Amino acid sequence: MVEWDLFFFIALSVVEIVASILVIASKKLVHSAFWLAITLITMGGIYILLRSEFIAVVQILVYAGAVPVLFLFGIMLTRREIMEEPNEQE
Amino acid sequence: MIDLYGISYGIGEWFMGIVAVILDFFGQWITPFQGLADWLMRVETLNLLAILIEVMIMVVFVSIINLFIIMWIERKMYGRLQDRRGIMLPLPFRKIQKGTGFLQNLADGMKLIQKENITPKNADKWMFDIAPAIIVTTSVLVFVAIPFSETFVVAELEGGLIFILAILAIAPFAVLLAGWASNNKYTLIGGMRGAAQMLAYEIPLILATVGVILLAGSLNPVEIVLAQQRTIWYGIPLILALLVFLVAIVAELERLPFDIPEAEAELVEGWLTEYSGMRFGLVFVAKWVRTYAGAALITVLFLGGWSGPILPGEIWFIIKSYIVFIIIVWTTWSLPRTRIDQVLNIGWKRLIPLALLSIVIAAVFKWVGWF
Repeated sequence: MVEWDLFFFIALSVVEIVASILVIASKKLVHSAFWLAITLITMGGIYILLRSEFIAVVQILVYAGAVPVLFLFGIMLTRREIMEEPNEQE
Repeated sequence: MIDLYGISYGIGEWFMGIVAVILDFFGQWITPFQGLADWLMRVETLNLLAILIEVMIMVVFVSIINLFIIMWIERKMYGRLQDRRGIMLPLPFRKIQKGTGFLQNLADGMKLIQKENITPKNADKWMFDIAPAIIVTTSVLVFVAIPFSETFVVAELEGGLIFILAILAIAPFAVLLAGWASNNKYTLIGGMRGAAQMLAYEIPLILATVGVILLAGSLNPVEIVLAQQRTIWYGIPLILALLVFLVAIVAELERLPFDIPEAEAELVEGWLTEYSGMRFGLVFVAKWVRTYAGAALITVLFLGGWSGPILPGEIWFIIKSYIVFIIIVWTTWSLPRTRIDQVLNIGWKRLIPLALLSIVIAAVFKWVGWF
């Protein structure tokens, strides 16, 4: 008998750990924001495994829905070249 | 009444029975097949399969049958509103221009599949691919929690309403990503406008549902409809919340009075500009799916869901949601476009106070003791 709870917990944790490492490892800030959203959504999945659906849904609504968008707005309203490698032509 | 779970369970049992018999037959020579056949006929496996088939039925209904009807209604109706005949697909063996054009959308889909999938050279390829996937997934996922009748629902969640709103809230992120990844000034401006607008209108959208939640005393869509059957459709006492919700959902869907994210005269096609081929088709169709989701949500929250005399509940639900959809299409094609500052002013300065007022009205109803 496979323990599905354990299986999904391990799968979600692996995704979450890899995504959270990529948040700080990505060269482009927008990619970081994307991985941040993935981290927060998988966190919601772990809340579902803990039988607290309401907190999971609120996690997705508040964190995954609003926080990365605010991050992206912040990134896009500032200069774009901050983190990127300089262009050869310039 | 249709018991979707029972039907799915029956189909799954029948199908798995055939597979298990075949595997059992081969199991005489190859031993592992015997264990596989036993596993397939277990109750847990059959339950899982029944749920999968249920989801499949919903997805096929939402994404194929329903979609064709919706697209046909919209294209035909705005044709008539603009004093044209709208789409007509003439029959091949007849010379006269006559026909309802019901299969025109299928033909358009075939055309889009044949076209090349172009990715711009300087685009962020990976993000460019993943943004439409997020939009389509979230659009279809909404239907998991929307009940078409008491039994015709994939997942009866305790917090189903919040789940729907949470899934709808992921879209602005994908819109921003799509706009940024295309590496084009029009898509970037479109994406920024789209995200700003969706983010602004999510607040009145959620606040307008609070009144309904207060009166029904539940977050479960099925419970909300059952409470409406006991008392009255919430669209009548909470007409203000209904109007706020309707305006907010039209803005959330980027439809015409509020379609500045893709204003054709200024921004080509907004954040969709660089998408081509079936990727464009997918995102475009996802917009229709979201529109139907909005109409279905209004039906559940304000118009009594599947309640109605004589006809079965599912039919009532579909009739009501199509009427709401037609009203949305009607407003879309008869109103002129607003400016970006006007859109944001309507959202933040008009709709949010009105939504708060509707909460107060609902609280008064509850306090007087009518519900």
